[in-house]
Amino acid sequence: MEDKNLTEKESLELIARMIKETQNNVARYAAYPLLIWGYLTTFIAVVVWFAIFKYEFYQIQYLWWSLPVIAFPLTIYFSRKSGKRGAQTYMDRITNRVWGIFGCVGFLLSFFAFFQAVDIYFLIPLLMGMGVAISGCVTKYNPMIVLGIVGIALSFSLLFIHGLDRLLIFAAIFVVMMIIPGHLLNEKMKQECLKS
Amino acid sequence: MFKELDPLLHSQLRLAVMSILLSVEEAEFVYIKEKTNATAGNLSVQLDKLSEAGYIEIEKGFVGKKPRTVCRITDKGCLAMEEYVNTLRQYIHI
Repeated sequence: MEDKNLTEKESLELIARMIKETQNNVARYAAYPLLIWGYLTTFIAVVVWFAIFKYEFYQIQYLWWSLPVIAFPLTIYFSRKSGKRGAQTYMDRITNRVWGIFGCVGFLLSFFAFFQAVDIYFLIPLLMGMGVAISGCVTKYNPMIVLGIVGIALSFSLLFIHGLDRLLIFAAIFVVMMIIPGHLLNEKMKQECLKS
Repeated sequence: MFKELDPLLHSQLRLAVMSILLSVEEAEFVYIKEKTNATAGNLSVQLDKLSEAGYIEIEKGFVGKKPRTVCRITDKGCLAMEEYVNTLRQYIHI
């Protein structure tokens, strides 16, 4: 591209083409944070349930600390690998801030749950469901909005369910609100990358 | 009587830069260079012209040891683009 003058029609075409170029700049790995956090949370919940149910091994609860240790570096790795490097849209900034705030609150709740009576198995899916639904609203992606709201609604069931089996409901909620929309979004990103 | 098109925007490369910056919050120099297929030297000159007119902001910094130049459109730049597109529409009767 050079510093040459354009006709009026060429100018309008150029504006439209450049705007389309930035929109085509899709992030191939946009769904990976949902999949990483969704799968790991579900896996740890099931392992913790199994270890307590079968062996009454309550120290397994410390396994939750491996979640941020594994998931954070993976999330950062895939966001850097994303095709969106070099430009940030308003949508990117809002989504990043939403997850930054929700992630910090989630981490603090998990931390204090070791010292105080915090109903973590209710609050965490509630918080993450809100994060998924808000991200869906910002990115106008309906499966995330719907499944995020389903996650929020299901998390309230944990106020009425007690005992060890709460962990299985907790895991199921993460499947519904993170793994399923994660796979749907991943498929959409794959298709959009092929098109562009 | 048609209004005159803004001469600063009525150039291929500068218009491309402004169109990119209109649709993102901020963009790095390398990103704009890749999207416009411009040479670094030419792009740099055109960015300076847009910045002198107050249409864009240029922030120069470092990420580690690598230099990083980030560009953002200003409110004045957004208004200029809006006016430019409206004038274009008059010319081609949209």
